[in-house]
Parts: sequence; structure tokens; C-alpha cells
Amino acid sequence: MPTPIKMPQLGETVVEGTVSRWLKQPGERVERQEIVLEISTDKIDTEIPAPAAGTLLQITASEGQTVRVGTVIGYIGAPGEAVVTEQPSVGTEQSPVTSEQSPVPNPQSPIPNPQSPIPKPTGREFVSPVVARMAAEHSLDLDSITGTGLHGRVTKKDVENFLGTGDKGLETGKTTPSPQSPVPTLQSLTPMRRAIAEHMERSVRTSPHVMALFEADMTAVVRHREAHKAAYAAKGIDLTFTPYFVAAVAEALRANPQVNSSFTAEGLLLHPRIHVGIAVAVPDGLLVPVIRDADELNLAGLSRAVNDLAERARANKLSPDELQGGTFTVTNHGVSGSLLGTPIINQPQAGILGIGKIEKRPVVRSGGHPLLPSADDAIVIRPMCYLSFSFDHRILDGAEADGFVGRVVQVLENWG
Amino acid sequence: MATHNYDYDVLVLGGGPGGYVAAIRAAQLGLKTAVVERENLGGVCLNWGCIPTKALIHNAEVLETLHDAADFGFGFENLTVDFSKAVSRSRGIVDRQTKGVAFLMKKNKIDVINGHGVFVNSHSIRVGGSEYAEVKEERTVSAANIILATGARAASLPGVEIDGDRVIQYRDALVLENLPKKLVVVGSGAIGMEFSYVYNTYGVDVTIVEMMETVLPLEDAEVCAEVEKSFKKAGIRLLTGTRTEQVEKTDAGVTVTVKNVKSGETETIEADKVLMAIGIRPNTDKLGLHATGVDTDKRGFVGIDEVMRTNVAHIFAIGDCTGKLALAHVASAQGIVAAETIAGVETMPIPAERYRFLPRCTYCQPQVASMGLTEAQAKAEGHDIKVGKFPFMPNGKAQALGARTGFVKLISDAKYGEILGAHIVGPDATELLPEISLAQMMEITPAEIARNVHAHPTLGEVLMEAAHAVEGHPIHM
Repeated sequence: MPTPIKMPQLGETVVEGTVSRWLKQPGERVERQEIVLEISTDKIDTEIPAPAAGTLLQITASEGQTVRVGTVIGYIGAPGEAVVTEQPSVGTEQSPVTSEQSPVPNPQSPIPNPQSPIPKPTGREFVSPVVARMAAEHSLDLDSITGTGLHGRVTKKDVENFLGTGDKGLETGKTTPSPQSPVPTLQSLTPMRRAIAEHMERSVRTSPHVMALFEADMTAVVRHREAHKAAYAAKGIDLTFTPYFVAAVAEALRANPQVNSSFTAEGLLLHPRIHVGIAVAVPDGLLVPVIRDADELNLAGLSRAVNDLAERARANKLSPDELQGGTFTVTNHGVSGSLLGTPIINQPQAGILGIGKIEKRPVVRSGGHPLLPSADDAIVIRPMCYLSFSFDHRILDGAEADGFVGRVVQVLENWG
Repeated sequence: MATHNYDYDVLVLGGGPGGYVAAIRAAQLGLKTAVVERENLGGVCLNWGCIPTKALIHNAEVLETLHDAADFGFGFENLTVDFSKAVSRSRGIVDRQTKGVAFLMKKNKIDVINGHGVFVNSHSIRVGGSEYAEVKEERTVSAANIILATGARAASLPGVEIDGDRVIQYRDALVLENLPKKLVVVGSGAIGMEFSYVYNTYGVDVTIVEMMETVLPLEDAEVCAEVEKSFKKAGIRLLTGTRTEQVEKTDAGVTVTVKNVKSGETETIEADKVLMAIGIRPNTDKLGLHATGVDTDKRGFVGIDEVMRTNVAHIFAIGDCTGKLALAHVASAQGIVAAETIAGVETMPIPAERYRFLPRCTYCQPQVASMGLTEAQAKAEGHDIKVGKFPFMPNGKAQALGARTGFVKLISDAKYGEILGAHIVGPDATELLPEISLAQMMEITPAEIARNVHAHPTLGEVLMEAAHAVEGHPIHM
């Protein structure tokens, strides 16, 4: 029996994947665990290894085709072996007969010749005169309209649907923009954009967000970094500030277990392990790869992990596992210049720590009374950094949250 | 296609122009396919409809030309006309065409199972004998998917039984051994009009009774008027706006009582035969459909979606039994969509609103071909329209053929030019329509049709002129 290659489940929210490239063609020999194709989902692109050794017999999902998780996308078997594909859903509907009978293929059935559904091309090859006139009048970009005609042709009906007009012809006058005011163009959503939108909306709806703002004097960290940068570079590590923050967060999480938790209707789910996600900006969105057991890594280990994950996130080379299972998230938005952010929680976590830009600011240091004026007061210039902690008020109250961030600040200011 | 232990991937019930085309397309797509046919491959279309009538009509056209032979410089002192030869020519064509379909089934490795199919359950059909043919051994076949293509039969008026002798239907009218002297045709759709033309040309005294205000009541009013003019000139009596009240068989023939809908005046017409051509009833009553859960409407037509799927996901229906537009080419188109849907390949669905843009043809003389909205419908639906009309009369090719009647009428949306309707009456109207139906499907407008250079001299130039007329500038007018 040939072994089917199936679209893998790449995360609990991932329901479908797109075949981006087959690295093997039917007839080619493949080894077990050899990469046979690449797929992309709304989160990541990944490679799929062969589930068995043999010959790639058949490809049932061609490049560009999007299929649901679990769908057979190809078969591996002995050379020349016949493939018996699974019954498509159209034939199995509500039939008592089907369920009672064993799924043994009919010996009379010919070797099937599955014609896989042709993916609808998004391009247009023909613009009908009627559509051309409508597009001209409404200054439409036809690329932004989904065509439902044969081979994706944009039909009059598609234009009408796009404009929100009915079958009875277009309303003239009022809705027609003048040539001086071109209509806004619609940029379609990438799967990642859609996923981010859905997640952010859900998070704001789910968690009552509260933010606590702290400031950290980064002198100790900057000094440490300057002292060790070269040595790290010699080991091939680019020492950035991020691992310092992750280390501080990991330690603070260990000290404040309720911050490393998730809210459920049954109770607070306290996570025994500390997996810190770091937000990484990628060309068309944002990814949050996870550093597992961050509390068990030293600075060098965290640096390597941060560098590696960020690099592979930008190159779109993360595996699905590396994007899952985070128990807390750090977003170093300061790298792009912002002093202060109000991050949205990465569900189902309890909080997210935003790190602002580190810059030299004048601060007061005093050997005297902490608040009353004193001769020992001095204005000094220090590398300062705002830490903004968004937390789920269902889980944490202000005092606990402050205790957590205070600990982070403490670790950072006393580094070394 | 699939892991299942049914006998077939697809079983098509009915081997007419819908069923056999669906079977071929399914087989082309690699599906194991069978057709169940209780009578002859090709269905009504090939055996008792489209094809044999066209043969008889061509006979009538030749005869009509011979009647006008003097115009062409021919004289026939002893012209003999043998109607039985027309019938046998027509049956010969049917025979050859049916064999052609059988060859196509074999070529595509489609099993043809003879007999009448009745559902045992939603995946299995028992094939046995019927009034059409005996079957020695009943058998049950099963399939993962089933396409209903069982067609329809002639309807009659309440209380009027079609006996095949004096009260006849299209099947009988195709194989009459002797010409009646006087024939009453009830109904003036395509079937009524085509037989009226044939029998009138062969010298039968024909009266058409139509309840609606015009003959061919679904066509554009101007087309109806043009056809009525020609029919009256040919000596056919037209009783439009007239209801057929009673049909009584007498010793000599039949007495048909009719009543003018407006005036209420009644009239009795004595005739040898009456041809019932008032419409169709779906062949869905003897299929055991209740065993499948497939829904039908009150009249028995099977409900389908735009890919021909019934309310039961693995059962599809196409053709006359769906009651959409009872024409062979519509059934074939539906069959292709159904097969492609089952195979999971790209197809072009036919949504409900698409059917009125599919071609409608009547092969009497003058021929009628149309698609889309009539002028009255377009106006009633609130479209702002432009209408272009051009007669065949000034066209050189039409004159060479001796055709003197007819015109092309195009109706388009005033703003974007979309073709909303095309109505052709005249020589080879049915052959001219595809240019317009392709244009309509691809949303090409009269402006492009007018500038598409048409060869000269051809009848097609009239299409070009009508397109120019929509734009307001016909050349030869």
C-alpha cells in the first residue's frame, strides 16, 4: 500500500496549508525523512519530510493549491505501485451504505486518474468590454477584484459585487466618484495579516488590558555588553540587549509564577516551565518565536537562541513548533525607535513586556533623602529604558504586576 | 477516483443528450462510469425530437422551394410527393446517430446498462424491464455518485388522453403513416410550430390553438408577429388567445371545442387528428426517488443548485427533469458541469439566472433563434436599453437564397453595452445565434460586434448591421 503524504497540522489554529514547492517529482526516489515539499500557512513556511522511503508515486495537490489539514497531497510507494486515492467528500455524504461497508477498494475500479482541482489563477487574461467600461468609469483596479469566471476571469457580476451594486445595473451619479477623487484601492489581506488581525481583535476582546510603566537604568547592562561584545563576537554571537531582557524576565517569572499563567474558566493555569516568546518584525507582519525553558539558559545561550530565532524568522525558516507554546512574550519595540508602547497580550498568556528605546536621559541620583531636596542630589546622565507591562487584569492586579516588573528592573540595574 | 466499493464512480440514469454527454465527460476525467437507458441511447432528442424533426423539416423546406420552383426557372409537371419516404429518411438518420452514440460509449469505456432504473437506496439502482423494453434478468448496480438525466414526456390537457391515433403527441407525429387531411395543433411552442410547418407544407389543413396572445409566447413580440405573418400567408389558421376546452373522439376523427379567452366565443373544429404540444412532465415519478430523499417540486421537477447537485450531495440532476430550460443543449451543458463537479475539476457553474441567456431555437420557417430578455422583459425589469434591428431583406445573400422575411434584433444595456437579448427570425437564424451568445457570455458589446469584420456576402452581415443599429448607425439602411 502506498503511504500517503498528508498536509500536517502545524498548530492548533492552523486549518489549511498551501503547497509552495515540490522538491521531488513523481517517479523520483525519496528517503524517509528526506524533504519532499515546502508548504506555507498563515504563520510560517515549512518543509515536509517523507513519511516513508520509496518512490514518489503521485502528487495530488499541485503547487499553489491550498488544502485543509489532513488532506492527502501525495503518495510514496514501490515503483509502479497503483495508488488508490481516498474518496472525496462529494461521494460520502450521509450514506448509510457507505458507513456499513468496509473501505476496501473495488478490485474492478480502474487505477484512478485523479484530476486535482485546478487552483483558480488570480491573474486576468481577458477583460471584457463591459468590465473595461465599468472599471474605467469607477476607476477600479481590476487586480483587486476576485474573478469568478472561467480561469479567474473578472465578470460584470464580480465588478457589481465589488461595487456592492445589484443585478439591475449600476446606480449612477451619487456613488460615482469624480475623476479628481479616485476611489481607495483595496489591498487584499495576506494570510499573516489576517491572522494577526484576528488574534489582536480576539485578545483585546478577551483580556481587560492594564499597563504598568517602569523605567530601568541600563548602565550596568550597557557596561556588561560593551565589556563582553568582542568576546561573544569571537564565539560567533552578536550580543544584543534582547537576551538581557529575556534573562531578567525569566528570573522575574520564576519569582512571580502567577505571571507565567493562563486564565481559564476553571481556574488559573500556572505553567511549570518558562517559555519566552520574542516578537520579531518580518517583511509583511510579525512573528513570535519561542525560547524554551528560557530560565535554564545563561546569557550566551539566550543570545544564541535570540539570534538564531530572529534570523530564521526573517528568512521564513522557522518550524511550526518554534512558534508555539510561549508562556510570556517580550517585545523590544524600542529597536525601531519608540520610547514607550502599549503592547497587546499574546493570548492565552497573562502579560507582555514592551521594551522602549534605550537612550541617555538626565536622571536624579541622591545620597540623601529619597524625596526631600538634599545637598547630595545630582542630575546625572544615564542610559535609560521604559518598560511597559501590559497584563490581564483578570489574572493580575497592579501590585503583583508591579512586583514582577520591579524584579525585572532590579535584575537589569544590578547586572553583572 | 476513490476508495469505495460501489460498482461505479458515476452512474447516469438516462442516456439522452444530457446523460450521455455527462457520462463521456465523467469518463474523460477518469471516473468509472455507466449509463442506464430504458429505450434508446440519445434519448428523446436523438430518437424522437431534435434530430428526426430536423430531417422532416428539411424535407418540408425542399418541398417549399419546389413549390416556388418557377421563380428559379424549374418546372415540374409531375411532381410526386411521398411523405412516407420523408419519415423513413428521418428514421434512417436516427438509426445512424444512435449508433454513433453507442460508439462513443464504447470508445470511452462507459458501460451501457439496458433497462429501467429504480432506486433501491441513495447509492443503488435496480435495473429491470419497462413498457419500453423487456429485461431478462434484473440487476442492481451501485455508484458513489448518481446523475439523474431521466428527461420528460409530453403533457396533455386534463381529461384528454393521448391515444396515439387521433389524439397524438410528438412521437406519433414523427411516424405518421398517412397524412391527415386536417390537423389541430394545441400549443404553439417549438414543437407545435415545427410540426405545423411540416404538415402544412405537405398540404395538411393545420389549425394552431394557443391560449396566450401570440404564437411562440416566450419570444419577443416583434418576432411573434413576423412568424404569425408568415404562417398565415402559408395558410395556417392561428387561433391565439384561445383556450382548448374539450377534445372528443368521434367516428370520423376528433372534435375540438375552443373558446376565445377575451370574447368568450366558442367554436368547434372537426379534424382528423389533434396534436398535443402544450408542454412536458418530468420523468421522475417511476424512479423510486423516495428511497433517496431527493426533493422534487409539486410538478415533479428535481431541484438543483448551480453545479446540478440535488439536496442529496452525491445525487445530481440535469436536463428536462430539472425543469430549467427543456432543451437538449442545456441538458448537455448541465451534464458537463455535473461531471466536472464530481471529478473535482474546474467547471463553469450555471446559476439560475443564467438559463435565460442560453439559446432557444424553433426550426419552422422562418426560423426563430433567441437568447436573453425580450424587449418587453428588459423594460419591465427596469433596464435602460438600446435596441438595434435590421431586416434580412436588403442582405444580398438572403436575396440570393430567396429569403424575404425576418430580421435580427439586439437589445443592449444603454450604459455599458452589455447584450441583454438577441432575437433572430429568418433564414438560418439558429446558425447565426452562436456569435451573439458567445459575445454575451464574454461580455462583448454591439460596438465590438459591429466592428468585427463579417465576410460578404453572408447572412451574418445582418448581425453586424443590427449591432451598428444599436450604436445608431446601420450602413445599408
